[in-house]
Order: sequence, then structure tokens, then C-alpha cells
Amino acid sequence: MRTWRLFSLFAVLALVLAACGDGGASPSEAAESEPATESEGAEPSAAASDGGGDGEPQAGGTLVFAGAALAASLDPSQTSDGESFRILQQIYEPLVDLAPGTVDELEGVLAESWEGEPEDTVYVFNLKQGVTFHDGTPFNAEAVKANFDRWDNFAEEFQGNAYYYGAVMNGFGETNLIESVEATDEYTVTITLTQASPTFLYGIALTPFSIVSPAVLDSTNADDPTASTLGTDVVQGGTGPFILDEYTPDDSAVLVRNEDYHGDHTAYLDRLIIRPIADPAARLQALQGGSVQGFDLIAPGDRDAVDGVDGFQLINRESYNSLYLGVNPTATDNGPLADLAVRQAVAHAIDKAALIGPFYGGGGSEADCFLPPTSGWYDSVCADVDALAFDPDEARALLEGAGFTEDEPATVNFWYPTEVTRPYMPDPRGLHEAITTMLEDVGFVVEPGSAVWGTEYIPAAQAGEYDLHFLGWTGDYDDPSNWYGVHFGYDAEGNPAAQFGCDVDGLEDAINEAEASLEEEARAAAWGEVAQIVHNEVCFITLVHGDTAIALTDTVQDYVANPTGSESFVDIWLSAE
Amino acid sequence: MGKFIARRLLLLVPILLGLTLLIFIFTRLLPGDPATTLLGERATPENIALVRESLGLDRPLHEQYLQYMGGLLQGDLGRSFITNRDVVDDFLQRFPATIELSLAAMLFAITVGIPMGMLTAKRRGTWVDSAGTIVSLIGISIPIFFLGLMLKWLFAIQFPILPDSGRIDLVEFYIPRVTNFMTVDALIAGQPAGVLDALRHLILPALALGTIPLAVIMRITRASVVDVLNEDYVRTAHAKGLRGSTVDGRHILRNALLPVVTVIGLQTGLLLGGAILTETIFTWGGVGRWVYDAVIARDYQIIQSGVLLLALIFVLVNLVVDISYAFLNPRIRHS
Repeated sequence: MRTWRLFSLFAVLALVLAACGDGGASPSEAAESEPATESEGAEPSAAASDGGGDGEPQAGGTLVFAGAALAASLDPSQTSDGESFRILQQIYEPLVDLAPGTVDELEGVLAESWEGEPEDTVYVFNLKQGVTFHDGTPFNAEAVKANFDRWDNFAEEFQGNAYYYGAVMNGFGETNLIESVEATDEYTVTITLTQASPTFLYGIALTPFSIVSPAVLDSTNADDPTASTLGTDVVQGGTGPFILDEYTPDDSAVLVRNEDYHGDHTAYLDRLIIRPIADPAARLQALQGGSVQGFDLIAPGDRDAVDGVDGFQLINRESYNSLYLGVNPTATDNGPLADLAVRQAVAHAIDKAALIGPFYGGGGSEADCFLPPTSGWYDSVCADVDALAFDPDEARALLEGAGFTEDEPATVNFWYPTEVTRPYMPDPRGLHEAITTMLEDVGFVVEPGSAVWGTEYIPAAQAGEYDLHFLGWTGDYDDPSNWYGVHFGYDAEGNPAAQFGCDVDGLEDAINEAEASLEEEARAAAWGEVAQIVHNEVCFITLVHGDTAIALTDTVQDYVANPTGSESFVDIWLSAE
Repeated sequence: MGKFIARRLLLLVPILLGLTLLIFIFTRLLPGDPATTLLGERATPENIALVRESLGLDRPLHEQYLQYMGGLLQGDLGRSFITNRDVVDDFLQRFPATIELSLAAMLFAITVGIPMGMLTAKRRGTWVDSAGTIVSLIGISIPIFFLGLMLKWLFAIQFPILPDSGRIDLVEFYIPRVTNFMTVDALIAGQPAGVLDALRHLILPALALGTIPLAVIMRITRASVVDVLNEDYVRTAHAKGLRGSTVDGRHILRNALLPVVTVIGLQTGLLLGGAILTETIFTWGGVGRWVYDAVIARDYQIIQSGVLLLALIFVLVNLVVDISYAFLNPRIRHS
């Protein structure tokens, strides 16, 4: 009998709790609700108006936003992924950053101005005055120097995760790009490079180059790999529009407005809460259920659940990526792909336009060049790239001309990764099936293969073990070297990238010339030459530039998407309805 | 009893020692390593070498194992390769979430499963029994992710009476994390409304997670009660005029409970190991998802130490179950 009573009690309790609820906050209710931590004295940073989607920004409210994960580390220098950047770039700031919505326009953040062109080796940064870190200590030239010195002298244990420092500064050893960093006076920093680097400024605009308060670096033992708490503890080391208030791994990051922010205005939001929701379907349900007011990376197939639906809005983020089909002539000894005509047949067989609707929800474009159209270099570098158009008849003719028939077909292995999705590759298996069908349609025999992404697929693809394979790239900073150079660069011994096995006459020289070209026009022409070679030789076939999108309730205003995903929440505000 | 407990605790040492070696070998047998997972498409051979070196993965395996064991003996379970967070801190931060969810799920499973098992046993052969069998079959066979998504769709989106995910309404309530038990922390923060909200957040995931244990408990209870119902002492109890509820509680249930307690113990142990699917669907942030993510990322430190901690807890829960037998059945105590 006692158990029956317990059962009844449980049932009643459940009903009471359900009834106690506010019925699941609707989007507008959630936006209106007063946060418990709102400080009484907080001055609205903009004149409060009657609200409305297109009215004046108004201060107040809490925005709960979902990403796929929280930060891998709270130490900016130790991060290299977009989810980490999303949180950290609200808290920390670099000297320069990309202007909102652009991939190639730099603007000063902690630096008011700077002198230095791509062909220079000396950069002088004039720092913003009157900026304080969240811990109250002043920002100045010594703080910048302390951070550069820290990165430059990273213990081995830190070097592995400091991917971007290594990539931008040519590693940590003798090849390091930094010759010296001097605090010329309190608000002037002079950085001298060992050689000119046209990507230096774009590189230091990345979140890992954010400046952390030297006092916080000290108090968190940031230089000691076994004792550092900078990556794990809630500290007040940034200068950004939000201060990290609470951080619970796998649960939430709570950020509050920095009332002393040095920018044009303080953040409009009182609080910004980032929640990690790994599953895209769960992110959508959280938006529909009202527990978040926005989330990133909507599944392409779910776009219609938000776009044009009452109470919601979809912000399209134009692609800054490329999906490509790696075509490796050396993966199989004397394989059919060693013949250029067969590689061209692969390219002619693929109908790129047919991939965009089913796999990208319409959010994407055909990739005729590795650089996406959002790149500032697209027009100049890609102008003369002649992408091979979809032409199955031509593909069949090329195969026939190469000596392949129905009885003796061209057989290729074609691999795709599992346990992964990427903005440029939302459904690897589906894409693989679609392209396999296209290849078989013109007469190829395809041997399919799949492998786990990070652990098997990437190493095998990088080692050049696959005839055909999917991979892609999202740009780090806007320079053609970050696209063509990273993929087709030769190693110190003069070997081509094993992934593509693309050893074409003149390619190595063309890449070396492009890397050495500092002046913009010459650089564009030189990289254009590289692009033509690798596309003409069909070392790879660029397929799709995949857009991503942010889903929001219609109360969230002024979210400006950036193709790189680098987005500040300082301008975002909540309207009443 | 003291000797029994001491012996069982002593046995833990070789079990856990063997486990460390097994898990170590298992993690190293998985293809790939943290370096390639960490770097993704940026995994050039130079970058991989740099990361492997910085994580100490370039050293011989026996050295890595000895270093791990050395740390373990000093109470240092290591730091995550990916986040550099202390594994014990990470575990302690997530485990309360798992305990909270597991207890809620078991509360649901027990309070519904035992009465339903009892009812179907006493009405065996009737439509009540058949309905109960069907319910328990569905409970066992329905995939958790499907049930979870359906519950969310129904009660959080179509009829929004319950929250869809998370452990508390972060906009409404500011609860400083002290114990990481959300209900307790809300209480400490002096926010009774927060306690209610935390409980509301528990309902859907507990229903999803508790369904399988419920079905198992119900079936075991039914089978066990059916056996006991035929015993002479039950007939005697009825014959001497005891009230039905007294016979049910004192004579039938108490004697039928032993296998049920075993199942409850095992199921609780399993739930405490984390419920990956439920935690993923409801964004719960417990140890299941934590270990799962570590396996995907090949974060060896978390896999090694996290699984060790979970194994320790599983063994301890089972010890508690064994001890509880003695209280339920004095015959065991005497033997």
C-alpha cells in the first residue's frame, strides 16, 4: 500500500511541477523577463525606445544562445575552433579585428591605428588609451609585450594547442616570424618581423591573439603548463564588451555586460548566456521550446522550420569555405587517375548544382574556385580559373579516349568520413552517394570506402591513400596562401603535398613566387597562376561553398553574421515583441 | 558483516588495478590519437608531431602507463588533453548532474514499476496483466532517443508545459553552483522557486531515462510476486484474517523484493555510469556525455580516469546492494 501512496505522490508532484511552470517561456516572454542579476545602477547604453524590430536599440535583457559546444579552453591562445572563439571574443580582444560582416577589412580594436604594409617588417601600433582590463588594471604597451613574450616562449606543452600562433608566426623555433616586440612608450608597440609577412595583420586579428591582463597571467600561473588555471578558471582578464561571470563546462557560460567598455557603446544585453547543445535537432527544439533565443549552425534540412516562420528569423551566413574532391593520381600505382583525361572526366561528371538543394537546404553555391566569393581575393585570383563544367557526354568521351570501355572500366576508390559534419560537408555519406551515382553514370566503377574522421580518415587522406576523397577548408584569414598555399605547398625536401600527389611542372616555383610576392597586385597574379595550375591539372575538384545560418527568435535584433563566424554580440539587443 | 565489507573493499584494489591496465590498452588500441582529432583538417604531419610531443604521446607506451599510475598513486588523475582541466574537477562538476537524473529516473521507475508489477501479478491472466506486459515490452524496446525527442516534442513544443532541455531556466534564476546538485544549490541560494524549476527540468529526462528500468523492475516484480503468491504462508496470512494491504506489504512484497532490489541496484549502477543519449537530447551535462565525448576525441586522460571512477562507483553501488540483502533477508545475514 505504501508503494501505491508513493506512486500517487510522485504523480501528483509531477503534475504540480508542470503546473508551476510558466508554460515554457515563449520567445517574447523570455526576452522580456528580468534577469536576476541585473544591476540596479546599470546605465542603459542607448536610449530606450518603444522597441520593435526596426526601432532604436534598447538596453536590457538576457540572451540565451546555443552553440554546439562551449570553449575548449578559456585561454584564448590555446584555442583554434569556432565554438571557443564565439565565447572568448566577447571577453577578450586583439589589437585589430575584422570589421563586422567582412573578411578582409581590418579595423583597430585595442590599437587605435597602426603603420605597416604587407611588404614591411616593422609594424607600429598606437594603442587606445584609457582602456582597462576587467580586473581594473590598465591596458598599455607593456601588456601587449607581455602577451607576445608569453606566446613566443610557450612551454612545449602549450605549443601543441597553440595552433594559430604556430601557423601565423611560422612555428616556435628558429623559424619564428617575430624578431622583437618593444613597448616604445606607454601606448606604442613596435613589432619587428624577421621577414615581411602579408598575413601578419590578418593573423593577429584572430581570437588566439587576444591580449590578456598581465596581472591575470601572473595570478593564474599562465606560463606553467602544470599549474596554469587561465584555461579553466573564471578570471577577469579581458577588455571585451562582456565579462565572464560563471562557467560550467557542458552546461553554460554566463557573461555579463562590461559597464566600462571602451568601445562606441557598452553592450546592450545585460547578460549573454551561451549553452552547449551538440545535436542540431536539439538546438532547434530548444529554440522552439523557448529555452534559447538563438542558435548557430542550423541543420540545412531544418532551415524551413525557421525561415519565414512566425516568431523566428534565419540569418544566412555566407560561405567562407569550400568542399572539394581530392583527386590523387598517385594513390593507386598506375591507376586511371594518373591520366589527366580521366581526372577531367571526373570533373565533367559532377553536377555541383544538384548537390546544393538536397544537402545544403539551398544555402550554398557552386564552387568553381577554391576561394569563396566572399574572399577579397576572389575576383583577382579566380578570374582566370577555368572550372570544368558538368558535361556527362564530354566525360564519357574523355574516358573512351583514355581507353576505358564498359568491359574495361576506369575503377577508382572513393572515400568519405564518418562521425563528422562540417559547414562545407553537412552529410558526407549522402554527398558520397550522390557523387558516386554521377560517376557511375558516365562509366566509372566506384569502390566506396568510409573511415572515422579525426582518427582514421584525416591521416589516411593526408598521406595520400585515397584515389578520391572529400575534404574541405574554412578560411582562417583572408589570404590566398591560407587556401592554395596550405594545401599545395611543397615541403622542405621539395615533395608535393601527399594528399593530392599533385606534382606538376612549374607548381613549386609558382607557389614559391606567390609566397614571396608581397605587393597586392603581384600577389594576386601569382596566386592566380597557382590556382590555374591546380585546377587545370585537376589536382582537386572544388564542389560547393556551403552557407551556414543562425536561427533566432524575432526579438533578437541586429545580429550581423560574418562569413568567418567571427561575430561580436556587442550590438545585439532584444526588442519587447 | 564488517569482515564481509572489508573483504569486498580489499578486492577492489586488484580489480581497479587490472582495470587501469585494461583501459590503458583499450584506449591505445583505438585508431588515431588526440593529436589528429584535435587538429581535424589542419592535421599536417608537423602539427601532429608537435601536438603528440606536447601531450607526451611520443614516449614509449610503458612509460606513459607508469607515469599515469605514478600520478594515480599520488591521487592525481591527470588533466584532459583537450581542455587541460583537472579530470577529478571535471568529474565532480558533472557527477552530481548524473546522480540527480539517475535518482529521479529510478524514483519514477520504482514508484511506478513495483506497484504495476504487483498489480499485474495479482491480476495475472486478466486484461490488466496483458496491458502491463505490453507496456513493459514497449518500455524495454522503445529507443531512448526516440522517446526523448517525442516527449520533448509533445510536452515542450506542442503543449509547452515543461522545459525542453537544460537543468534550470538560466534567464529566470541565478543559482551559484556550490554542490552542482541543481535542486540543492537552488535551496542553498534561498530560491524555492528555483528548486521547483530544477525539479520541472528533471521530469522529461527522468521519464525518458526511467522507462527501461521501469519495465525491467515491473517484470521482475511481477515474476517474483507470482512465485510468492503461491506460498503457504500467504494463504495462511489470508486465512487468519489479516487485511489485504498487510498481506501485500508484509508477506508478499517483502519476500518478493529481493530480486527486485538486485535489479534496482544493477540498474542504478548502470544509470550512474551516465546516460549518453538522454544527456545529449536534454543537454544535461552529466558524466555519460563527458566520457562519450572523450572517447570520440581520444582524450585518453578522461577515458582512463573517468572510466576508473565510474567503475569504482559501480562496484560500490553493488556492495551497498549486497549489504541491503542482509537487512531485507536475515537468512543471508546469518549464513
